[in-house]
Amino acid sequence: MRAFVFTDKALERYAGQFVWLAIDTENSANASFLTKYPISVWPTLMIIDSKKESVALRYAGGASVPQLTKLLGDGEKVVRGTKSKADEALARGDRLTSEKNLAEAAAAYDEAIKEAPKNWSRLGRAAESLTFVLYDSRDYERCAARALDLYPRVKGTYAAFNVASGGLGCASEKPDNRPTLDALEKAARETLDDPKIPLAGDDRSSLYETLIGAREALKDEEGAHRLREEWATFLEGEAKKAKTAEQRAVYDSHRLTVYLALKQPERAIPMLEQSERDFPDDYNPPARLGLAYRTMGKNDDALAAYDRALAKAYGPRKIGILRGKADTYAAKGDKESARRTIEEAIRYAESLPVGQRSETTIASLKKKLETL
Amino acid sequence: MKRFLTALLLTAAPLLAIAKEVVPFIDNDYAKALAQAKKKNVPIFVDAWAPW
Repeated sequence: MRAFVFTDKALERYAGQFVWLAIDTENSANASFLTKYPISVWPTLMIIDSKKESVALRYAGGASVPQLTKLLGDGEKVVRGTKSKADEALARGDRLTSEKNLAEAAAAYDEAIKEAPKNWSRLGRAAESLTFVLYDSRDYERCAARALDLYPRVKGTYAAFNVASGGLGCASEKPDNRPTLDALEKAARETLDDPKIPLAGDDRSSLYETLIGAREALKDEEGAHRLREEWATFLEGEAKKAKTAEQRAVYDSHRLTVYLALKQPERAIPMLEQSERDFPDDYNPPARLGLAYRTMGKNDDALAAYDRALAKAYGPRKIGILRGKADTYAAKGDKESARRTIEEAIRYAESLPVGQRSETTIASLKKKLETL
Repeated sequence: MKRFLTALLLTAAPLLAIAKEVVPFIDNDYAKALAQAKKKNVPIFVDAWAPW
């Protein structure tokens, strides 16, 4: 959104209507904010009622300019006081999601949809939010079933993207229910191919990834491969269309993912080297180069890239980079250095403040250490 | 949806923003944002993002 949305002049008229806060979830200065408002989807957009210090609106995922302006309008209405039953239930769902009370949040979103007046403009957001919380609570069967029910009501709108994609992601976790999976796969493909829906390039990329996940869940390697090729071609086209280095680099991670899946990591090297030159303070390009080189078996190049990344990295992401470096040492047969690197990762993970510290990550690092 | 699970690879945003944002973001300071919002009697818009 920083590359494509917050730079749009259409937002200027909203500048004084809100205080605008950017929270880098990797930055330890935000640990107490993250304890109060936990985040599990990136980006997450919120509108906070500053008087009550509570969430008035919460939206999981990025937004285009028209969507964002609608969210801003909806959030202001909630802060001023909602009137309809549907609006009240939707606002309650957003607040409960922020409190990580996902079961009650899902019930509130269901209630909002049930109480929705005719042509209610928030139906799409309620349907998207319901799909997200059911996915987040791993209630995959209900998530897929509700997404399938709701899809016809949001078809052709931006919400169709999150409902179809989220529903298909859930259905892929339970691929035995083939009719549901098939129907959601059709819905996701229909959404991807509809040029009238104002999806961002990375939204369409995300749809490809979900469609590939469905083919993988069905163990259809040929179908998955065909889609990976299509995805790579799409991403390269989008990167070519980018007007700035920043817009081009948005696709780096997507492209690395698909090149790795195609077992062609070497295709990622030129773009990542370019991004490392364009963004010398960013740890992402060298961290991604580390992964690409390690997959290619170029372990010394990978170690050098990981060291360049570690010199700039901070927050929980640093643990992943240390893990990648340890894996590279292990691939070289240097178990002692791999152990030392994992020990460093454990010390770092344990030093992170509440809100960023993850006991699951620490346990997984300790388990990894035992295998070395 | 898978993007939420493979977050280390996806949701990319270069660390340095080159294009200029048209709204005045406060970076990483909830207390400052809250104080300003209370003073102006407006809500806070939050973009919770990650640099990876």
